[in-house]
This record gives sequence, structure tokens and C-alpha cells, in this order.
Amino acid sequence: MRKAIREMIYGFDMKLITEAANGSSAIAAMRKDSFDIVLCDYNLGSGKNGQQILEEARFRKLLPFYAVFIMVTAEQTQSMVLGAMDNKPDEYMTKPFNAEQLLNRIKRNISRKEYLGDIEKALDSGNISLAIAHCDKKLLENNRLMHTHLLKLRAQLAIKIGDFKNAKAIYQAVLEQSELNWATLGLGIIAYLQDDFSEAEAIFRKLIDDYPMMLEAFDWLAKTHEAQGDFAGAQNTLNEATALSPQAILRQQKLATMANMNGELSIAEKAYKTAIDLGKNSVHHSSGDFAGLAKIYSKTDAKSALKTLKDMRSLYFGNPEAELRAALLETEVFHQLADEESSVQAYQTAQKLSLELGNKAPTDLRLEMIKTSYLKGDDKAANKQLEQLIKNHADDDHFMEDVRKVLNETGNAQQGEKLIARIKKELVDINNKGVDLFKQGNITEATQVFQRAATTMPENKTIMINMVKILLHDLKTNEVNKEKIQRIQTFINKASQFGVKKEKIEHLQAQLNNLSHKINSTASQ
Amino acid sequence: MSQNAKFSQILASSVHDLKNSLQTVRSLIRTLALEQANSEKPEFQILDFETARMNSCVMQLLILYRLDASHFKPLLEECRVLDMLEEVGYQQSLQIQLRQISLAVECSDDLFCFCDDTLINTVLVSVVNNALRYCRQAIRLSGRQQGDYVCLCIEDDGPGFSYGIMAGTQGVKSGELGKGNTGLGLHFASTIAELHSQGQRNGFITLDNDSTLGGARFSLFLP
Repeated sequence: MRKAIREMIYGFDMKLITEAANGSSAIAAMRKDSFDIVLCDYNLGSGKNGQQILEEARFRKLLPFYAVFIMVTAEQTQSMVLGAMDNKPDEYMTKPFNAEQLLNRIKRNISRKEYLGDIEKALDSGNISLAIAHCDKKLLENNRLMHTHLLKLRAQLAIKIGDFKNAKAIYQAVLEQSELNWATLGLGIIAYLQDDFSEAEAIFRKLIDDYPMMLEAFDWLAKTHEAQGDFAGAQNTLNEATALSPQAILRQQKLATMANMNGELSIAEKAYKTAIDLGKNSVHHSSGDFAGLAKIYSKTDAKSALKTLKDMRSLYFGNPEAELRAALLETEVFHQLADEESSVQAYQTAQKLSLELGNKAPTDLRLEMIKTSYLKGDDKAANKQLEQLIKNHADDDHFMEDVRKVLNETGNAQQGEKLIARIKKELVDINNKGVDLFKQGNITEATQVFQRAATTMPENKTIMINMVKILLHDLKTNEVNKEKIQRIQTFINKASQFGVKKEKIEHLQAQLNNLSHKINSTASQ
Repeated sequence: MSQNAKFSQILASSVHDLKNSLQTVRSLIRTLALEQANSEKPEFQILDFETARMNSCVMQLLILYRLDASHFKPLLEECRVLDMLEEVGYQQSLQIQLRQISLAVECSDDLFCFCDDTLINTVLVSVVNNALRYCRQAIRLSGRQQGDYVCLCIEDDGPGFSYGIMAGTQGVKSGELGKGNTGLGLHFASTIAELHSQGQRNGFITLDNDSTLGGARFSLFLP
């Protein structure tokens, strides 16, 4: 087929044609030149598959916003099964096809990309409010061919900024015309984001019933189960989805984590192994998969655990996070092997790495460090780290559950509860004080209170968000200047970096964009 | 598992396997044809046509099996009818060129319908394959709005449908096996048409010999 496709393409009037025999050379070619059209077979034998190439190209920003990516598949049903939540190609084409069909598809996609160019460009630069403005303008043009596509895009943009009312209205209007599954999915996503989990669950279940291959609905159903604390349900849904489509690494990683949490170690082991295998060709590879697998082995099979850690070290050489995970696991494995000397040595390495990493380490890893410290009788180090961690994450219920689990397992439940209560009270006091000052109109002092809190608890999401809200209010009521805008932007970026939900940030970002737009237009007058 | 269910599963996986082999054969034929200086040889033309027919037949069987084995809905999207008809034309471009058949597509560019593009394409390809077998030199694909329905028509200048086919009485009788009239194409078309529903209305097909070209006319109505 490649030979046949080559014949077709050389027959078209193209400026530069580059062929790649496999995934790695395709990525290398995209690094070198910026292509308008990428034609990629999904099945490439060994090495990366088409989806992994697409993911890597998007991840490394090798595809400009106007580029058309066409995925060639062997099965008509494959497009649905391959569907990941993000990273869809512009078009799927099923083999076999001829030159006329290919050229026609390319033309259609290029003209669509051209029409949507402004919107995609704005999105590419992260300016959602500008993308919305372009989209609204285009909707008024009443281009029949693009109208439904624009509506779909517009609803997605509305969701991004937390404007659920408009998004919902669009989906409902579309569904009134015809039963388009993306609109139903959209309604489910909105229900999920508004914490209406029973409604979300009903919608996703119905979608899976009607479209048994719609992988996106499985992913959202699993998320809904997880949000409701139904981890067994999430695991089952992910298990079904991975059976339909075993190639998606992110889904395998999620399944492994869920199964591990549920104590279903054989399912977790299988999923970790699959994820490690897929990781060889994927940008989403993670040292966490090796650590997860080694942890499962550590309880039953010390030799395999140490072997897995060795593989991990060689792949993630010089990566402090991976080194820390390995050292923590070795502490445990050597302890089980009654090799106390090696265990203590591994613990000391872990502590050194943990101090170096500081708050750059993910929270689950920091908690793992604390647990190991308790188990090694190093209560002083554990308590100190724990206080810092709780201060920053006291309002994250899921995480606090994990913290309590560690405290129970290490026999520190009582003193831990006292610590949690004290820190929570401090947080409430600070928040109340700040909000009271704000209500009294004393913006300056309110800002100072939150600023101090933000310094001692730099990762606390509630404080970040409140800080942004107060600063935005100040911007609306008082003088607007560039420094203030920059300061708010820094807090918003930080909130997003620390995992505050997109929907909570985007409308604050939109407000900021509006205000900075004002100052720009005044300046130019 | 009952004997019957087991058999139909074996049948389905065999058909799937056939489809894969067929794809390999088809792409090999195309490669060979490209390498030959004289690729317009009638043998290549027949190979292409017959393997295309086989492919279409296998695709229909697989979809019917899936429909039978589990409940699923067509994946509706808003499609431009002109694009759908042109796509069918492009798919057949080799045959049309080699046999010097004139294939006309007539449809306004602002006619849209909600349908499962892939399923409808399989229907149209199978009907056009059939038209290619019976036409003399002309096929016409057209689309228009007719009341609450969008109507897609495939007409030819051949001898037309037999009375039995039009009345729907001509099934597969034992004596007819091997004559090339399996009844699959029409059964498939009407199944897929019916699968498309909008409120209370379902899609359907009609067959007659009122073609403007003088032969058979197949019409697919989508709600």
C-alpha cells in the first residue's frame, strides 16, 4: 500500500515530499521540516504506531495549527476504537483508496483548516477568549458547510472557560435536530464538571449502550466513577475499555493505578507491564509504571522487584524522581530480605534525593517518603515533611484520605489527627481574616494576608484562587497597570501548574484577558 | 454456546479473515498494474472490478453480522450529500475510465443530511457496483430534498430491474445459487436505511425502472 500511496502522491502537485519508513524517522522528518500534510498509517509493524506518532508530534509541537494529519487505517471501525480523549487526527482514511479519493480528502481538510485558521491560531497561542470571538464572528456568517462544526467547537470553548450554560444550550439545540453522539457526550461532560455525577453516569452509560465502541464514553464513565469514590466501578470500566483498545498507554496507566488501589494486584501487574511496553514508543512513558510494578513484586517476589528497578534506573538514568522512587522501593525490598544494612543505605539515598527535589516531587511520592521515614523510625523527618504537605493540600479531600491511610498504617493516627486539625484551623482563620478584610473594603490588608499565606503555603490551591479573585477585584475597581496584570497571571499559571481544575481557572483567565485588553486599547488611543 | 451461534461466529471471523486477504490481493493487483507498461489490459480491469465486488460483499456481511450480534446505533453526522456522491464516484474512477462509462453526479452543494457516512457509503458502493455490471455506458448519481427526506438516487441505462426484484419476491432460491443474484445488496441497503431514524420516521429504499437514463433506478430515502 505504501508503494501505491507513494505513486499517488508523486502524481499530485506538491512542493516537498518526504517519506519515512518508521515512526522515529517520521518524527525526525517533522522536526526538520514543518509539513502542511502528514499521511500516516496506523499499523507500522514494530516501533511506534500512528497514534503514538500523532501524540508525540502534538506533544513536541511539531505540527503547525494549519497542518492536516490523516491517519490511514485497515478497518472502518478502527477510528472509533482509536479515539482518545485528546489527540485525534483530522481525518481517518480506510484502506484501500485511490488517488482521486485521497486528493479530494486532502482538499476538503485544507479548506476546512483555512476557514478555521483564526480560531486554531488563537487556541494554539492559548488565547481562548480570542478564539471564542473568532468563532462567534464566523457563526454569524452562516456558512452551512461549517456551521455544525463551528457549533461543536464553540461548545468546547465554552466548557473550557466554565460557561456551561452556553455549552449546554448549543448541545441541546444540536440534539433537537439530530442525535449526534458528540453532543450527547458534551452534555455528559458538563454534568460531570458540575458534579452532577448521577446524571453524568446515566448519559455515559446510555452512550456506551448505543455505541459499544465509543471509547471516549468509557473514559468519561471511569472518571465519573472515580469522582464518586467508586474505584471498583472505575476499574471495571477501564478494564472493558482496555480490552476493546489495548494500545492506549494513558488508559493502561489509569487502570493500573485503580487496580492497585483496589488491591487487584494481578490486573494491576498486567496493566503496568502493558504500559511499560507501550511506553517504549510513547511520549507518555513514565517511571511511575516501573515503580508501580516493582511495588507489587516487592511483597511477593523480591528478585523481580529489584530487576524491575534496575530496568527503570537504566531507562531513567539521572532522573531524580525516578531515582527517588527506586531508592524508596529498595528500602522496603531489602528490609523484607532482612538485609538491614542495604535498606538503611537506600533510605539515606532516598532522603538525600527527597531534600534535593523538595516540592518538585509529586505529592504521592512525597507521601511515600513520609511513610518510609515513619517505618524507619525517623519520626522527626516524617513529621516535618508531613506538616508542610498538609498545609499545602488540606483542602484536597482525596489526598487527605491517602494521608490518613499512611498515618494509620504507620501507627501515627492519633498524633496525625491532632496535626491535621491544628493546620486546618490555621487555614480557616487565615481565610476568614482575609475575606473579612476584603468585605470591609480593606483590599490592601486582605491582599497582604493572602500574600503571607501564599509564601508559607506556596502550593495551597484555595489560597492561590482567593489571591487571584482579590487581585482581579482590585484591578476592576482601582487603577489598572501592567505589573498588576503580570502578578495575577503568575498566580493563574501557578494554580494551573499545581493542578487546579481547568474549569476553575479559565473564567478567571478570561476576566484577566478582558481587563488587559482594555488597558491595551486605552494605551493605543 | 449453541451450535448455531458458534457457527455464525466462525462464519463471521472467516469473513473477516477473507476481507484481510482480499485487501492484500487488491493492493498487490494495484501495484502490479502500476508496474505494467500496459496497465489498461482488460485482465486488470476485470481483476479490479471483481475484487471490488468481493470486497463490497464481504463488508456488507460483516456489518450485518455486527448488527445482528449486538445492538448499536448508526454514528450520525451532518454530511454534505454532494461530497458523499462524489466520494462514490472517485472510488469507482478506475472502472469508469477503463470502461468509458459516463458517471454523472448531480446535486446541489447545499443539500445536507444526517447519516452514518461509512454505512451509507457501503450501500452506495454496492449499488453502483451493481449498476456497473448492468449499465451500457451511463450511470447517474443524484441527490435532492423530497419532503421530509433526502433522496439519493442511482440510475443506469441497462435493462432495468426484473419484476421479481422490484416486488421483493425474488429471494435466494436453491436454483438461483451461483447466478450472482444473492439478494445481499438490497437486503443490506434496506437494513441500513431503516437503521437511520429521526423521531418517528425511518429511512427506506425504493426500486423502479423510471430512470431518466432508461434503465434501473435505486432510491435511498434518509429522514
